[in-house]
Amino acid sequence: MRIDYKLRDRFDFGLLLPVLILFFIWLAAIYSSTYKHPSAQGNFNRQIVWGIAAVIIFFVVYSLPTNTFKQISIPAYLVTILLLIVVLLIGRKVSGAKAWLSIGGFGFQPSEFAKIGTILAMAKFLSKKTVDIETLKDLSIALVIGTFPVLLILMEPDMGTAMVFLSFILILIFWKGISVFAMFVVLSPAFIAVSSLFGPYYFYGALVLVTIILIVFRKNLFLSGSIFALNLASGFFTEYVYRALSPHQHKRIQAFIDPMSDPLGSGYNTIQAKVAIGSGGLFGKGFLAGNQTQLQFIPEQWTDFIYCVIGEEFGFIGSIIVIGLFVYLFFRILNIASSSKDEFLSLTAIGILAVFFTHFIINIGMVVGIMPVIGLPLPYVSYGGSSLIANMIMLGIVANIYRTRKMYA
Amino acid sequence: MNTESFASIHRKTLISVLIIISAALLGFRLFQMQIINRNAYENKSAENSIKSIEQLPLRGVFYDRNGKLLVSNVPAYTLRITPAEYDKKLNHLLETVLEVDSGYIDNILYQYRAFSKYQPVKIKRGVGFDIIAWLEENSEELPGVDYIVEMHRDYPAGVNGSHIFGYIKEISPKQLKKQKDYYNLGDYIGYKGLEKTYEKKLRGEKGWKYVLVDSRRRMIGKYKDGKQDLRPVKGSDLILSIDADVQKIAEQEFIGKRGALVAIDPQTGEVLALVSSPEYDLSKFSYITPKEFLSQLYSDPSKPLFNRATMSVKPPGSTYKMLAAIAGLDLGVITPSTTFYCSGGVDLGRFFKCHGVHGNINVIHAIEKSCNSFFYNLIFKIGLDKWAEYSRRFGFGHKTGIDLDEENAGLIPTSKYYEKIYGPKWPRTIMASLVIGQGETSVTPLQLAQYTALIANDGVTYQPHLVKGYIDDNTGEVVPYQYKKIEAGIDKKVFEIVKEGMFLVVNGEGTATHIRSDEFKIAGKTGTSQNPHGKDHAWFVAFAPFDNPQIAVAVLVENVGFGGTHAAPIAKKVIEAYLQNLKDNPKQLDKSIAILKQ
Repeated sequence: MRIDYKLRDRFDFGLLLPVLILFFIWLAAIYSSTYKHPSAQGNFNRQIVWGIAAVIIFFVVYSLPTNTFKQISIPAYLVTILLLIVVLLIGRKVSGAKAWLSIGGFGFQPSEFAKIGTILAMAKFLSKKTVDIETLKDLSIALVIGTFPVLLILMEPDMGTAMVFLSFILILIFWKGISVFAMFVVLSPAFIAVSSLFGPYYFYGALVLVTIILIVFRKNLFLSGSIFALNLASGFFTEYVYRALSPHQHKRIQAFIDPMSDPLGSGYNTIQAKVAIGSGGLFGKGFLAGNQTQLQFIPEQWTDFIYCVIGEEFGFIGSIIVIGLFVYLFFRILNIASSSKDEFLSLTAIGILAVFFTHFIINIGMVVGIMPVIGLPLPYVSYGGSSLIANMIMLGIVANIYRTRKMYA
Repeated sequence: MNTESFASIHRKTLISVLIIISAALLGFRLFQMQIINRNAYENKSAENSIKSIEQLPLRGVFYDRNGKLLVSNVPAYTLRITPAEYDKKLNHLLETVLEVDSGYIDNILYQYRAFSKYQPVKIKRGVGFDIIAWLEENSEELPGVDYIVEMHRDYPAGVNGSHIFGYIKEISPKQLKKQKDYYNLGDYIGYKGLEKTYEKKLRGEKGWKYVLVDSRRRMIGKYKDGKQDLRPVKGSDLILSIDADVQKIAEQEFIGKRGALVAIDPQTGEVLALVSSPEYDLSKFSYITPKEFLSQLYSDPSKPLFNRATMSVKPPGSTYKMLAAIAGLDLGVITPSTTFYCSGGVDLGRFFKCHGVHGNINVIHAIEKSCNSFFYNLIFKIGLDKWAEYSRRFGFGHKTGIDLDEENAGLIPTSKYYEKIYGPKWPRTIMASLVIGQGETSVTPLQLAQYTALIANDGVTYQPHLVKGYIDDNTGEVVPYQYKKIEAGIDKKVFEIVKEGMFLVVNGEGTATHIRSDEFKIAGKTGTSQNPHGKDHAWFVAFAPFDNPQIAVAVLVENVGFGGTHAAPIAKKVIEAYLQNLKDNPKQLDKSIAILKQ
């Protein structure tokens, strides 16, 4: 069956357009933030090279036969796991996390690509005809596929990426059609875990809440008891994980709770980021005219804090445009996910949406001071080759799914 | 299987809602920061990146009446540490080099812990050049250690002048609270003397340099190309009325003695010399004051910090007799030919002694011989309150208003004063003590000098002052200060009679004939102030030349006995020095100003 589609039909300009606009905003922001910077002046040119490479990769991925993704899902996942183990052994440490591999002078982050492999592998498993997500066995397998890389990433340790994984794992099983109760079983240990970070009273309070909800569900005593035990274990396990976190991550969590507790230390970035954005006003201070940016108040602001540059130099209008572009992109991906007739492709698309969305909400949330400072780049805008290439591969997969959406009727 | 739930419209809607709520939350947060709270963030942003650097002006200097430099500024090195770059392991090394106690540096850094780590902290002032040279050589091994040049006061004329000039010191937190508008922590302010009185004139105006700094407070450029910078305005230079040579001689005369001297030009009220002895070393105050030095000064029984010239109040002794003579003559209760009989004293219920037997004596000879009996009689004709009124007309009982902030008013008792103590029937014989300058009458050396100036210049002079004016930096001209005219309102003939008596004290058969000078005709009066605690205090007041008085002097030497012996020779030296200088080098100031202008 061969249908001669029009280009518009095969290529979703709505998908690429926001990314192209973000691309130019990104060029401006990188240029501005590294302008006159003593050590980062080469970043702009380097990023252009990355950008060109990323666009090529996008079109390559876009042109691949769609069933390739399903075929490579298991090998990709295994390679991913392997790389994550390798990075733990011979990786390079950057700001406290052993997350970088050096290959021929280029550094890249396996965890960026691990997202793709894990999404594909989970989507493949979940889309099997025999899988019932409501059974404990299948749910557990899905969760193990998803969380095994998370354990490796937490050992680096890289909190941010781990959170991205948790986010798309949840969205994937949600999209698959998990019931409210099963979702509760999955989510409640996480809820307990987060609560226990705030101290014993929060922990006890959360436990009581979980118990009440369990009673409301009126499930049998054995199941309820097991779930309660799982929750309890999660609380104690968190204590152990928290200790395993690096000191700079402890500081960041504390600084989020009270940034002024250490104004020159970990709270410093948050304060300066807020000053940069707030002082931008409605129209911003103008390109290359933001004093917070140009005077380099935020260290390495071209990476995770790039949104400050936009907020300061292009103001409220520029910041809102960026948010608008992302929201538009999210809805395009959501529509593709929802309109795809193939379960595997639909799940893959929704997983990719979850990755972008989590990056977006955590990055901007941290810059405007409503989220803890967890190092996560803003997709398409932050400096960084691995993340750009990984994002463009994911966008290419979504565009590919759109291209062939009618073949999988 | 639960296929109906897969990718259901409900789940899609739920995700859509999640996206929209998250985006709205971020949008609202941005609106709050960028629109509502924009000003607060903008201020913080400006504070962040623009640093204002204080530019301290040069403090005004002091010239003497002849244009000689009395107080100047010289550069001194101050060692600083920038805590962010400094390694505390260097403490021991630096403390050894600076010759300070161990813990000295930690202690200072601790005091400044609340300030930015990138802001240099002043560790020690007045560091020697050898240490600076060592610092330059080893700067690689001494990160965060540097020095700056600050100005401190120097006294090149060899004039001590501790009670005239005063000193400058770092402003105290208490003063800072009151004067926040100009001063900052660590600024210098005049603490005493002329440095304090003329602080506003001397300090000039601070300048400000605005620079852009990066996140580590490192300077990266000028702000708006320096267009908003404010240049500091140099403080005004003061022309003092002091004659450096005369002051130096007076100070030398007082070495090893306690007392005070005030010399005034009677025609202008200009103070030519002002000494309070013992003095203290001003140069030790000028940048860093060692604690031991301060405590030594405070505990010294001879009170070197106490300005005796303006603050010490003592009975004036016989130098005060002219006042009653003037009052009596002016009121008409006596004439120059009126005589009283002196039999070595007067019986006023109890016997009041004189120090000789003078027989019938008139006012001129009563002053010449310092006859007590004459004045015992005279005071009962004048009455206490009239006498007190004349005292006030000659500047006693209230401050002269000299341009030093420390001054005492002294005391001139009236009948009210005694009524308060003894009731209406207060013993009238008290007046006999008062009229010869004993008892409760108490005056400062400055008041006595002013009184002598008034007599010398026939009842007209100007408020005593130490500063003639300041130099206008634009024109180079001296801008004179105006001072209040003081008039006793008494006929010139009265003064001629009294001055005749004072002339005879030195040139007749009086109490100070040993200071007679052929070159300059000196008129004077000795005084001895009874001291119940020890030896009497010696007074001498004088003016010269007799025909055209150019200088009036009051000298006090504490605890030495008779005034003629101890105080009069000092007065003579000072008078001769000044008059000789005047004769040899007329119009010195005009010449000096001409040189300064170039």
